[in-house]
Amino acid sequence: MMRFLLGRLVWSIVVIWFVVSATFVMVSAIPVDPIRTMVGPHADEKTIVRVRAEYCLDEGFLGQYGCFVGRVMQGDLGTSFRFDRSVSSIIADRIWPTTQLALAAIFLQLAIGVPLGVLAAVRRNRAADYAANVTALIGQSAPTFFIGTVLVYVFAFRFGWFPIGGYGAGFWGRLHHLVLPAVTLAAVGVAYYSRVVRSEMIDVLAEDYIRTARAKGVDEASVVRRHALRNALGPLVTLVGLDLGVLMGGAVVTESIFAWPGLGREVLQAIFEVDIPLIIGVTLFTAIAIVIANLLVDLAQAWIDPRVRLE
Amino acid sequence: MRWIRKSAGSLLVLIAACGRDLGPVSAPPSSTPVRGGTIRWATNQQVRTLDPDIGNDEVSIYVIHSVYDTLVGYEPSDPSRRGSGLKLVPHLATSWTVSPDHLDYVFTLRDGIAYEDGTRIVAADFKTSLDRAINLKRSAFASYVGDVVSVAAPDDTHVEIKLSKPYAGFLYVMAMPFATPIPASHLTAVGDQLRREPLASGAWRLAGWDEGQQVVLERNPHYWDPTRPYLDRQILLENIPSDTAYLMFEQGELDTVDRLPSPVYVWIQERDDWKPYLHDVGGMNVYGERMNVRVKPFDDVRVRRALNYAVNKEHIVKLLGGGATISHGLLPPGMVGRDDALAPYPHDPEKARALLREAGYPDGFETEYVTTKGDDAEKLALSVQADLAEVGVKLKIRIMSFAAYLSESGSPKGVAFSIDSWLEDYPDASDFFDVKFATSSISDENSNNDCFYSNPKLDAMIEQARFELDDAKRVEEYKAIERLLYDEAPWIWEYHRHFLEVTQPYVHGYEPHPVWLRDYTDAWISR
Repeated sequence: MMRFLLGRLVWSIVVIWFVVSATFVMVSAIPVDPIRTMVGPHADEKTIVRVRAEYCLDEGFLGQYGCFVGRVMQGDLGTSFRFDRSVSSIIADRIWPTTQLALAAIFLQLAIGVPLGVLAAVRRNRAADYAANVTALIGQSAPTFFIGTVLVYVFAFRFGWFPIGGYGAGFWGRLHHLVLPAVTLAAVGVAYYSRVVRSEMIDVLAEDYIRTARAKGVDEASVVRRHALRNALGPLVTLVGLDLGVLMGGAVVTESIFAWPGLGREVLQAIFEVDIPLIIGVTLFTAIAIVIANLLVDLAQAWIDPRVRLE
Repeated sequence: MRWIRKSAGSLLVLIAACGRDLGPVSAPPSSTPVRGGTIRWATNQQVRTLDPDIGNDEVSIYVIHSVYDTLVGYEPSDPSRRGSGLKLVPHLATSWTVSPDHLDYVFTLRDGIAYEDGTRIVAADFKTSLDRAINLKRSAFASYVGDVVSVAAPDDTHVEIKLSKPYAGFLYVMAMPFATPIPASHLTAVGDQLRREPLASGAWRLAGWDEGQQVVLERNPHYWDPTRPYLDRQILLENIPSDTAYLMFEQGELDTVDRLPSPVYVWIQERDDWKPYLHDVGGMNVYGERMNVRVKPFDDVRVRRALNYAVNKEHIVKLLGGGATISHGLLPPGMVGRDDALAPYPHDPEKARALLREAGYPDGFETEYVTTKGDDAEKLALSVQADLAEVGVKLKIRIMSFAAYLSESGSPKGVAFSIDSWLEDYPDASDFFDVKFATSSISDENSNNDCFYSNPKLDAMIEQARFELDDAKRVEEYKAIERLLYDEAPWIWEYHRHFLEVTQPYVHGYEPHPVWLRDYTDAWISR
C-alpha cells in the first residue's frame, strides 16, 4: 500500500509538471504581448518595456521558463497581469463557488441519473425505458448553453422562481441561486449516469445470483436494490471521481451564463486576455484536482471491491 | 468558446424581446432631489484594481474616479447642450495660475477638504501621489506626466508643478484619476494593498468589494460638496453578461443598464413608454479601419480615398441600431478643434472604382483584413467586406482576440488592413492626433501610430498645436490637421459610437457623462 502511494505520488508530480510545462509552452507561443493588454492600448513603448521587465518577460523563452519554475518551487504562482493580485489568492477566492457547483451537480446527477437508470433497466423496452431514453438523449445532446438559456428564460425570467444570475448570500440565498446552474451543469451527467446504470443493471440482472435470489423468494424490490444495484454501482464510483476532478477545474459555459463566480469563468477571461500567470495557475490547480480524484477513485475501488489490488 | 456565449446571449435576448412585455413601472413625477436610496447597476467586466496608478480599464477607472477626486474635474453633462461635460471646473483646487510660458502651474486647494476619515487633505499628498505615478515601476500613467520636472508643496494649500515643455492640454491630465492626493502615511499603512484599500477624497467611499461579484460604494460624508451625492449607496454587480443585465433590469433587479445589445436597443427605441428613460451621449471615441500606409496598395493615397468612398457608413450606423454618428476624422462631435464643416466621405462606389483605376488597380485587389471578436465587430466586418467587394476589393477576414489584434496591428510587419478605434484619456485633440499619427508614436512593436504614417508637415503642425497657448489659434490649427488627415485618408473614417443607457423611471437627475460615461453623483431616486 505504501509503495503504491509513493509510486503514485512521484508519478503524479511528473504528470503535473508535464501538464504545466506544456501549458507554459503553449501560452508562450501565442503571438500576443500580454503587457500591452495589461497597461492598456494607450501606453507608450517606454511604459511597456519597463513593465515587461518587471514581470520577467524581457527574457527569452528559457529565461522566462526559469523564472517561472523558480517561482513555483517557492510556492509562488506569480501575480495576475490583469488584477495586480497574487494568482493563489484569486484561485483561493474561486475554489469555493466552483466546489459548491460541482458538488451540487454531482448530487443531482446521482439523485436523478441513478433512479432513472434503474427504472429503465427494470422496465426494459417498455414506456418508462423509452421515456428515460429520450430524456437521456436530450440531456446528452442539447448543448449546455442552450439548456442554461432556456432554464433562465422559463424559470427565472418568465416565472420568476429563481434569480437570473449571481451568487447569492446566506444559506438559503445561495441555495436559491445554485439551483439553475446546478441543473444546467448536471444535465449531461444525468443522462450519462442513467445510461451507464441502465446497461450495468441489465448485465447484473442477468447474473446467476439474481436468479438464485429470486428463486429463494426474495421480493423484487430487494433484488433490485440490494443485489443488483449495489453490484452495478462499481463503474459509477469511477465516473463520479473523474467528474469531480474535471468539475473542480470550473464549468466555463455554465458559470458564464449564470454569472457564477467560479474558476471556469475566471480562466475564460484569463485566456481571452492572455493573463499567463492566471492561466497556468488554474491549469496547475485543475491538474492537481484531477490527479487527486484519480487516486481517490483507485482507493475507493479497492475498498469497495476486495478483488482489486493496489500494487 | 466565445461563440457559445454569444449564441446563448443572442438567443436570450431574442426570446426575451418577443416574450413578455414589461413596460416601465411608472414613478411619481418629482423635481426636487431627494436624499437616500441605492442605485444598482451591472457590468460584464470586473474591477481589477483600485490602485489609481495601475487601473486603466473602464470599470476600474469608474470606481477609482468615484473614490478619488482631483484638482480639477469635468462639469456635469447636460443633454440640451452640445459638447457639454467637457469643460474643466474647480474640484479639490479652487483656483490655479499658469506662468506666461506655461511651464509653472500653481494650484490653490479648497478650504476644509478632507479624506473619508476626516483627515485634512494637504498639498504634500499631491506630491506623494504624483511622484508615485512617475516612479512606480508598474505605473500605467508615467508617460502622461513625462514632462513634469517637479511637484512641490511649499505649504499645505499650494501645489506647484513645473513642466519641461509647455503643453496646452496639461490641465486635462490633472483631471485624470491618477492625479489624486494620497497621504504618505496611507501608502505606508496599506503597503501593497492600495489596490483594495483606497482612502477616499471623492464623492464616494468604498464600503465593500467582493472581488468578481460586487463593489459597494457609499456616500463620502467628508466630500467637499455637502449636498452631493444624493444617493446613500451604489451597488455595482460585476461579471454580469450584458444580456443577463438587461433581463435583470426588466425584472427590476437593476436600476440602470447600459451597452444594450443592438437588437434590444432597436426594440426599446420603438417603445414610447421607455423612450423618456433612454439616455444617449456621444462618446469621446472614434472607430474605423486603419491601413499601413507603407505597404502596397495602401501606400497610394488614391487607393485609401477609394476605400473611403466605397464603404457605406449609413449602413454601418443602421447595423449599430442607430447608436453612432458618421465621422469624417478622428475628433468626435463636441471636441474643441473639430471642423464640423467637413463632410464625411459620401458612399460613392463609382468614384471609388475610378480612383482605383487611376491608381492602377482596375480590377481591384485582394487583401487580408483583421477584426476583433464580438458581435458588432464581426457584423461590421461583413458589411465592409460587401461594400468593398462592390468595387472589386476582396477581403479575407481574420478574427482575433483583442489582445492578439493589438500585437498584430501594432507591428509594421503585421496585417496592413484592420479595424481600429481610439478612446480618449481626456478630451483634448492632442490625445488623438499626437498618439495616432505623429512620427514619434511609431515603434517596432506596440506602435500607437499603427498606420505607420509619417509626415514631417503633419508632425510640425501637431507640435505647433500641442504647444499653442492661444485657444482660438489652436482651434484653427487642429482644423487644419483634420483637413490634412481627411485628404490623406490613412483610415477609413467611419463612426463615433454613442453610449446608451436606460434608467428606471424613478431615477432622476442623471445623464451619462461624455468622459466618465457613468457618474451617479447628481442622480437621485424617488420611490
